[in-house]
Amino acid sequence: MHSNFNPIKTWLLAAVMVWFIHGTVSVNAADPAAQPAVNAAAHAGATDHPEATKASIPVIKQFAYSYLTAFMFYLSICLGALILVILHHLFDAGWSVPIRRFLEHIAFLLPVMGLLFLPIALLATQIYPWMTMNPPDHSLAAKSVLFNQPTFYVVAFVIFALWTWLTWNLRRWSIKQDETGDPKCTIMLRRYAAGGVWIFALTLTFAAIYWMKSLQHQFFSTMYGVYYFAGSTWTTLATCYLITIALSKGPLKGVIFKRQIYDIGVLLFAFTVFYAYIHFSQYFLIWNAAIPEETFWYVLREKGSWWDVGMIILFGHFVVPFVTLLRIDVKLKLSIMFPVCVWVWCMHYLDMTFNIMPVLYPDGLHVTIWDPICLAVIGYVLYRVFKKSFAAHAPYPIRDPRLKEAITWHEEPDSTNVSNEGGAH
Amino acid sequence: MAETPKPYALLAEFDTPAAVMNAARSVRLAGFRRWDVHSPFPIHGMDGAMGIKNSKVGYFSFIGGVTGLTIGMSMIWFMNEYDYPLVVGGKPLFSPLFAFPVSYELTILLASFGTLLGMCYLNRLPKLYNPILKNQRFARASDDRFFIVIEASDPKFSATETRKLLESLGSSGIEMVED
Repeated sequence: MHSNFNPIKTWLLAAVMVWFIHGTVSVNAADPAAQPAVNAAAHAGATDHPEATKASIPVIKQFAYSYLTAFMFYLSICLGALILVILHHLFDAGWSVPIRRFLEHIAFLLPVMGLLFLPIALLATQIYPWMTMNPPDHSLAAKSVLFNQPTFYVVAFVIFALWTWLTWNLRRWSIKQDETGDPKCTIMLRRYAAGGVWIFALTLTFAAIYWMKSLQHQFFSTMYGVYYFAGSTWTTLATCYLITIALSKGPLKGVIFKRQIYDIGVLLFAFTVFYAYIHFSQYFLIWNAAIPEETFWYVLREKGSWWDVGMIILFGHFVVPFVTLLRIDVKLKLSIMFPVCVWVWCMHYLDMTFNIMPVLYPDGLHVTIWDPICLAVIGYVLYRVFKKSFAAHAPYPIRDPRLKEAITWHEEPDSTNVSNEGGAH
Repeated sequence: MAETPKPYALLAEFDTPAAVMNAARSVRLAGFRRWDVHSPFPIHGMDGAMGIKNSKVGYFSFIGGVTGLTIGMSMIWFMNEYDYPLVVGGKPLFSPLFAFPVSYELTILLASFGTLLGMCYLNRLPKLYNPILKNQRFARASDDRFFIVIEASDPKFSATETRKLLESLGSSGIEMVED
């Protein structure tokens, strides 16, 4: 529709915005009075600092936190797409060939996420209390190897460099196969996937720890990376489901069957359970051990309306989707799946809010105008880039050796070419 | 025993999965109900061709799971809060949190019992004897031949008409199996 999309103009606009924000930061950072009160409240997470509530929170900080929440939400979808592509190659899957191309494009949005990370990089001192904590508390001193500014930026750079390299190659060889049909491309993709899955696990964990968990650097949880992963893949599968349905009537007509849609639904169901399993494990161990160094994280999130948010996540992120998706035929019913997928987005965004926002608003959930703005802006940028790259290439891997298998298996062969079909897979 | 053998079923042999699949579709459309297809390996799409609906085993699994969860939760509540109240580690006398791992295990255990028993019940297992297994030709159902078996107890069954139907579907050999 919008063929007059001009990337240069967009980036110019973004650059101006970043410059503007940066200017505000410097002004704000020069005002030392505003800092400690908020930090103290954020750290202890207690309502015994009522003076440090929303009235005294500078707008730039509100923006930064909203931006981080939206950023982590969309990062989830990109990373989820990356792991689905990697898993496709690792398992030598057949069924997911038709949906692989758009997942490759979504994964290749990670370099764009790298550009969108700039505001976070610039506002880092506003977002992460440990960056400006002077003198450092015992926890920060002990974790100073990880939590110091140079390491933060170097790690962020390395993470985005690796993601760019990996997603670019996973897409490049796939597109190359469209032209050549060479099975060697599949072999190459398998190699990138085999190495990539390790890179994925490590970079995702570091990203979750640095950008989200370090908001309260005193916290310990070995579950945190996989917790972010579980929620991410869950959200991606919901997104994938909707995109598949949307494209199955357009560019993917003739290659999407009940089987693909059903399998995405099954995976969505599986990750509903997996997320609950992971989050329960994290909560249960902390609850059981009751060590203050760990419990403070959840204590903060049981104050004020955060308690209700936690309950909404417990029931809305797990119980409701679990019971809804339990029946086998539901996964093919769009009238149920469409609301479920939209619900999944809401729940994952709420989960990100639950992780990030209590640090800024210890007394309860606050929604600012920045929340929808950040969601809309990042979402719009990603959508435009995705649309452009999707239109520039074949909508699915047209010469993938497994494509035939993906579109014939499980379908009743029609009586005309029945002789070469029928089964022995 | 010297009873006169009575017809049990018509056994029709087919050479390819495609042939048996087409035949199955026609048998279904002809309205038969007590019949089955035998093949050495799963044939994708056969469920649709035979008109087999989704298995009802899931309901048994679900009932088993819910029972397990309920038993686990109430057992721990009964033991820890009601029958012998005991404070452990400063925790509440009962919380679904610490009761969850055990309840969860019981959920899975009873759900799998439900699945297994439900499957046996729906498949009418255990069944120690089936006349079809006496048939020499039928041994190849586990090797390289595909069979359709239509039981004589089917309301639509007729020794001559059903045989004609199976012949017209390209069967390479039809036998009456007797009990």
